[in-house]
Amino acid sequence: MKLNNIKRSMLSFWNEFRQTRFGIFGLITFCLFVVIILFETAIIPFPEASTRWRDISYWEDNPKGAAPVWVNWFTSTKHTPQKVITDVELKREEDSGFEFIDVVIPYDYQYDIAPNDIIFHAMTRGEVTLMISLLRPDGDEILLTEKSVNSTTLRDLRIPISTNSLDNVYNYVKQHESFENIKAKPKNVMNSMQVLFAKAEEGMLQNPASLQGEYQLKITAVILGEGEFLEPNLVISGNVFGLLGTDSFKRDIWSGVIAGTKWAMLIGLMTSSLAVIIGVIFGVSSAYFGGLVDMLMMRFYEIAASIPMLPVLIVLSAIFKPSIWTIILIMCVFSWVGPVRTVRSIGLQIKAETYVEAARALNASHSRIIFRHMIPQLIPYAFASMALSVPGAIVTESTISLLGLGDPTIVTWGQILRDAVSGGAVLQGLWWWVVPPGLFIAGMGMTFAFIGFAMDTILNPKLKTR
Amino acid sequence: MSEYILEVENLQKWFPIRRNISQVIKRERNYVKAVDGVSFKIKRGEIFGLIGESGCGKTTTGKLIMKLLEPTGGKMIFDAQDVTYLDTDAVELYKRKVQMVFQDPYASMNPRFRISDVLSEPLLIHKIGDSREDREARAIKALEEVKINPPEEFMERYPHMLSGGQRQRIATARTLILSPSFIVADEPVSMVDLSTRAEILHMMKEVQQSLGLTYLYITHDLSTARYFTDRIAVMYLGKIVEMGPAGELIDNAKHPYTQALIAAVCEPVSGNVNRIKEVPIKGEIPSAANIPHGCRFHTRCLYAKPECWEMEEPMLEEVSGVGHLAACRRWKEISGEKGKVSETA
Repeated sequence: MKLNNIKRSMLSFWNEFRQTRFGIFGLITFCLFVVIILFETAIIPFPEASTRWRDISYWEDNPKGAAPVWVNWFTSTKHTPQKVITDVELKREEDSGFEFIDVVIPYDYQYDIAPNDIIFHAMTRGEVTLMISLLRPDGDEILLTEKSVNSTTLRDLRIPISTNSLDNVYNYVKQHESFENIKAKPKNVMNSMQVLFAKAEEGMLQNPASLQGEYQLKITAVILGEGEFLEPNLVISGNVFGLLGTDSFKRDIWSGVIAGTKWAMLIGLMTSSLAVIIGVIFGVSSAYFGGLVDMLMMRFYEIAASIPMLPVLIVLSAIFKPSIWTIILIMCVFSWVGPVRTVRSIGLQIKAETYVEAARALNASHSRIIFRHMIPQLIPYAFASMALSVPGAIVTESTISLLGLGDPTIVTWGQILRDAVSGGAVLQGLWWWVVPPGLFIAGMGMTFAFIGFAMDTILNPKLKTR
Repeated sequence: MSEYILEVENLQKWFPIRRNISQVIKRERNYVKAVDGVSFKIKRGEIFGLIGESGCGKTTTGKLIMKLLEPTGGKMIFDAQDVTYLDTDAVELYKRKVQMVFQDPYASMNPRFRISDVLSEPLLIHKIGDSREDREARAIKALEEVKINPPEEFMERYPHMLSGGQRQRIATARTLILSPSFIVADEPVSMVDLSTRAEILHMMKEVQQSLGLTYLYITHDLSTARYFTDRIAVMYLGKIVEMGPAGELIDNAKHPYTQALIAAVCEPVSGNVNRIKEVPIKGEIPSAANIPHGCRFHTRCLYAKPECWEMEEPMLEEVSGVGHLAACRRWKEISGEKGKVSETA
């Protein structure tokens, strides 16, 4: 029966909620955020983004400061997108105690701006010698690099070709390029990738014209004695990357922003609900006890409300190791003052109700009157003010992160923004580093603001426009 | 055991008025003397009526007895025990024995409580009943006592689903559930439909007789008081001005204020309906912060003579043999003069 009643009141609330257009909009975006959180690992290419955001090795194959892939739609010169080629055929041959492995990785290059790098990966054990060469569409075959590794355990071999092939590529350029040009651009300033994907003609060093077509990367591995050579794969490190590009630290912004959603939600909801619970209990108690207690509590409230949060936060985070939980706690300490005044004035009205007097005549304890009689009347207000204080909490956390006082073990939108500011994203024109986290902060704030407004209009009879 | 369940002696409740700075310096203190020396004794098993117009301090007296307010002075003796000032444990015991029915049945129940919550709240507070079932059984029994039928059906309802009469029955049931011996009923029927008033009062009387309760019935309505109570005390500006058995007091009122109250009762009887009554009273009730010197009624009394305001305040004195007391210096003259005044008027 009680359950039925709750169901009925929820239903009537929903019927009213449905009529507020911005409430529905808020609800839809809220559901979107929930879906994002639930399917986070499925929609981001780097599932460990949240925990390994500051781990350089996790991001090393990505290009630095690459624009989003869809930038190509709007430009006439096409950038090479990031590509990972994993399904490669291995041809194994045994010959007098050596094992020869031939790998040919085809790569169809149809772009105007050459990739940043080509990174070859394989798992090796024992003494392995590698020879990597590139067959270009024009028939030239360039030996890029030769490398020997020796390890007793199976481990990841990573060969970034751009830096390892400088000598050989420079020699190749010398066959085609004019003497003046070669002299003007010494080896150490040459971009080997640009040359490898350029037409073999005079000027290929200065103004490379891209040579489109089918390239083949040929790898020959020789295992001396006992050893292994497994899972070779190739990362074409493009200059456009993913949905939202990368930052100066090679991190995928899309993964970061999506992984930050759950933290924003957690920070927003935890802070606002804790703060509102404390504020409501404080306000009601102040109203209920009245007199001297009320006066002292209100003076305490006024002091708490007038302490500026940021300076205190800076000092506190110098003392404590910043973690998301201490940040939430500290934000609660400063934001519980929000609902106090309103709650106290509502509480004063409720206190004067006869049923509160009747409860006192029955010798009900103070806590019983506060928690059973007074606070239930405030629940609608509490919910609305909870929803309305979520955006503030998210923005505050971003501010704290922006000052470099955020939790270093997670990734939040504020921290992405902070890195963008300190990394000079705006000066370098890396707009995809600044705009998405900013938009997500605004979106999350808007979601809860809309839901809060809708709840406020329904639950606060004084605002009803009927 | 004494004959009296509750004895109130010179009970006072003064509310301090906020002072301005010059008053603080001059150490002046002003009070609203809501209850200013009230004394009465209520017999066991009796219904005692407390009557007066609004602002005369009758509800404050009820709250003082209910221990919702702390008295400024005086003495209250309940069951031969001084209850004027009590500690927390004693208050708990006292509040189990003394209960209150409030004026407004719409406001006296939390709108978010179901009837079963309303009725089990006193049990929870006083830690009576071992289980939910036990408490509900007690609640159903209490509902039966106040003639709510069928009680099970009402348990899950909310107060807003009930009529005023039903609510007042449930409010009564809530007071009965702790089996008290004394009930303060603060205008229990003033907000109930006229048609159900008699029914509610009848129910309350039945409950009183079957459980041997004592009522303090606070009202401004003389007609229900006469019907319902055994004895009546009339309050004016924080003090009792006349007290006596219900019938005797109303038929044979001595104090001019009581006479005025009786004259003011409407009579919806043909012939009297359209007649605007000459009520033998003048002016407005004075402020309780500034009580007139001498007889506190003299500013409104039609029979006032200089002695009324020049001499000290009159005490309650016996006016007839049956315990009928009145606080009027000139009651004898007034009884004789009454005819004359109405002739001249």
